[in-house]
Amino acid sequence: MSSAPLLDREFLEKLERFAIQWQKSFAGLVGGHNLSRFAGAGQEFLDHRNFHHGDDLRAVNWRAYLRLEKLFLKMFQVEPRVPVRMLVDVSQSMAAPHGQKFDYARKLAAALCYVGLVRLDSIEVHAFSNRLSQRLFATGGRHRFPGVMDRIAAWENAGVTDYLAMVREFIGTYSQRGLVIIISDFLDDRGCERALEYLIDFGHELMLLQIWADEDRIPPWTGELDLRDAETGAALRLDFDDVARRRYTAAFDEYAAQIRAMALRSGGRYAGIATSQAIEDLIFGDLIRARGIA
Amino acid sequence: MYLLNLSFLQFLAVFGSISAFAVALYLLDRSRRRQMVSTLRFWIAAEQPAAAAHRRHIQQPWSLVLQLVSMALLVLAIAQLRLGSPAQSGRDHVLVLDTSAWMAARSGNRTLMDLARDRARRYLRALPGRDRVMLVRADALATPATAFEPDRRKLEAAIMASQPGATALNLDQALAFARHIQSQAGGRAGEIAFVGTSRISQREAAAPPPRNLRVLLVPDPIENCGLSKIGMRRSASDPGLWDILVSARNYGSQTRNITLSIDFGPGGAAGRVPAGSQHLTLPAGGEKEATFQYRTDAAGILGVSLSPHDAFPRDDRAELELPAQPTLMVTVYSDEPDLLKPLLAATPRVFAVYRKPSDYRSTDTGLVILDRFAPTQRPVADSLWIDPPAGGSPIPVRRVVEQAPFAGWDDAHPAAAGLRTKDFKLEHATVFDPAPDDGRIGEVEAGPVIVARAGHPKMVVFGFHPALSPLRYELAAPLLFANLLRWYSPEIFRRWEIAGGSVGSVKLLMDQDTLPKDVRVTAQDGSPLPFTVRDRTLDFFAGVPGPVRVVAGDREYMYSLTLPQIGDARWEPPAESLKTLPHFALSIDTAIDLWRWLALAGGAGLLAEWILFGHFRRFRHSRRLSPVLLRSKASDPEEVRR
Repeated sequence: MSSAPLLDREFLEKLERFAIQWQKSFAGLVGGHNLSRFAGAGQEFLDHRNFHHGDDLRAVNWRAYLRLEKLFLKMFQVEPRVPVRMLVDVSQSMAAPHGQKFDYARKLAAALCYVGLVRLDSIEVHAFSNRLSQRLFATGGRHRFPGVMDRIAAWENAGVTDYLAMVREFIGTYSQRGLVIIISDFLDDRGCERALEYLIDFGHELMLLQIWADEDRIPPWTGELDLRDAETGAALRLDFDDVARRRYTAAFDEYAAQIRAMALRSGGRYAGIATSQAIEDLIFGDLIRARGIA
Repeated sequence: MYLLNLSFLQFLAVFGSISAFAVALYLLDRSRRRQMVSTLRFWIAAEQPAAAAHRRHIQQPWSLVLQLVSMALLVLAIAQLRLGSPAQSGRDHVLVLDTSAWMAARSGNRTLMDLARDRARRYLRALPGRDRVMLVRADALATPATAFEPDRRKLEAAIMASQPGATALNLDQALAFARHIQSQAGGRAGEIAFVGTSRISQREAAAPPPRNLRVLLVPDPIENCGLSKIGMRRSASDPGLWDILVSARNYGSQTRNITLSIDFGPGGAAGRVPAGSQHLTLPAGGEKEATFQYRTDAAGILGVSLSPHDAFPRDDRAELELPAQPTLMVTVYSDEPDLLKPLLAATPRVFAVYRKPSDYRSTDTGLVILDRFAPTQRPVADSLWIDPPAGGSPIPVRRVVEQAPFAGWDDAHPAAAGLRTKDFKLEHATVFDPAPDDGRIGEVEAGPVIVARAGHPKMVVFGFHPALSPLRYELAAPLLFANLLRWYSPEIFRRWEIAGGSVGSVKLLMDQDTLPKDVRVTAQDGSPLPFTVRDRTLDFFAGVPGPVRVVAGDREYMYSLTLPQIGDARWEPPAESLKTLPHFALSIDTAIDLWRWLALAGGAGLLAEWILFGHFRRFRHSRRLSPVLLRSKASDPEEVRR
């Protein structure tokens, strides 16, 4: 466990004006801050419908009944309290080549937890590699944040990424739909597209935050390379030159574009993050522009 | 074409080492790199695996070739590659200029130093402009006046600033220094040119001269007679008389008749009194001595002159400073002065005045003796109290004893040095109660009866009268008083020896064994001079003319080292050495320097290699594929809304 805090107090104070945003309408109890298309016990008028037996008489529009002699029921727009779930990749690929991605992911997860806690959201956080870790439940306001940050700082790298197994476990655990934030490098040899499709089909809204190190996207090396996969240990020997570097970067960008397209297609959000980018620039720039927070 | 700083083999060795290092670094940099990566999926898409392919040790041969060529150019630049023949390069010469005392001698209307300076400048002008020259001034020591300097104006200024010194020429040492400095310079060795006379110190050992020696002798057919040594000491039988010994030497080749004369007086020419003269005939190369006697107790300057004067007047006169004879004034207050007169009259440097106690004055100077008398106001000067009344004793009285046998002397106190007698009884004596720091010179069984108190003023108190006790019959009585006078005023017993000579190394044979801690050798300004003491011989070195004072115990030696040191031998230049001004070809300055262009070409080659193959290219490539582009596309608001 690192002795230094992940985020300093000055940075946290800047986060207090933000709130986590989502696009879809989810059912839930009153108390949230995002509007839902589902009617409920809200303040804003939404629509009328015919009265059915068993409806609450307090919601009948009696002025309409006096004029039209028919019972209409007033429906109100509700801002439900929707569960936010955050999945943070702690697989060994996040530690390669120098551990920057893992540190960055922990800081980003802690920052989003603080944003949620300030707005009294409930955030369920899981670290994952090929399965979910024990749930970290962040709720109850900002004074709970130190404990959350300590738990996040105590995470360690382990395991091989298996999105399909992890998503199966997630769907089996949580039946209520909501916002799912995934912080990962999305590097799964078996592919993560199918697993993400499962989450979308189940009705979750995805916010995909893809983290890469600069070496992941543009390898700086030249010549004969003896490469080893951080997760599987598989080896590869090849000659690497500028032409190969361009092909590599094109393949990487193509893969990132696929992840991004999948998120946007389902109404979710996507941000590609290089670890050389300051986390302040990410929060106050890219995430706001992507409407992940507002 | 040749290498100025490196031979061809040296160049090959240096270039080979650098090339091997560069190739090793190249192979290390371009060899297979082990790297842990997050995934292999994009690598597989980028390139087909090369596991089965033949490993290429040199992947970018042009990069290596460019590096090696650039480094070869740089090494050649460091080696100062030139177009031309080796004879066209500059050389490093050492110009040894004689600045011994003899160079002050006149030849016609010019000094030998003027002639030597002219010769040195002519030699300098005859050298090619590319050559560098170091000027070394040589007398007893070899002192470099410049570094290896190509600027002729600086060298000429240094030559013109050279002046005759005070010591003789140590040529072997100067030539050895020139040879050493020439070998250390690293450049192409040129000549060692000596400009001066052939008169050298005889003490140096004959050493083989360097092969590249050029000798430009200044002719010095000069007849010279001069003072070589002067010694003075007070006569053993008559302290007021000075015995003076003067040595004169004929350095020329003809017999000379000279007159030695002495005079005395204050400093300066005025007020001097002739004190004696003697005629001497000096054969060629011979040395004779003359003795004088002169009576004076006063301080002053004793001058010794040799006449007639010759072309080298610096050794025709010497002056020695005589110190005054110190005396001690003793004032005795006694009703019976005859008791003490024999004790005080034994020391000729003591002048005693006897007064009645009623005439007592506390302001007397020197030493005050109070005989059985205690004044109301103590004297401000040093004092000796003899059997003072109990109520007025400066040292508290413990008791009075009768018929007390004398117990002994305190050997540690200087006033009791050499006293052994104790076979007598004191009929009546006062025993004192001294302070812890007081000296107990003499004691009976009940305590001290002679007490000394150091400090200022010094004080000694007797508990009995030495002339009225059995002590007056003992040898210890005059010895005790002599010791006490030496303790009060040690300078009146100091013996002086004064010598005149030349600067340099001085050897002094002392009359008595003296510990080195008791020896002080100081120059005129009071600064200490280094010295060694072995057995009874003291050696020291004075580099500049002036008086030197040696204090060894109770002896003081004054050296007036103002006579110039003249070499008493002639040096014959080796037959194979060059003896005329050089004549060099004028085509020497036509060699072409290439090192600047080689350095530029080497630097340009390395820069090109860095741009074409090095990190510059990778850096530029990484800038071109900046991740900002991807992120900006991903975070496009329009696409997010879609």
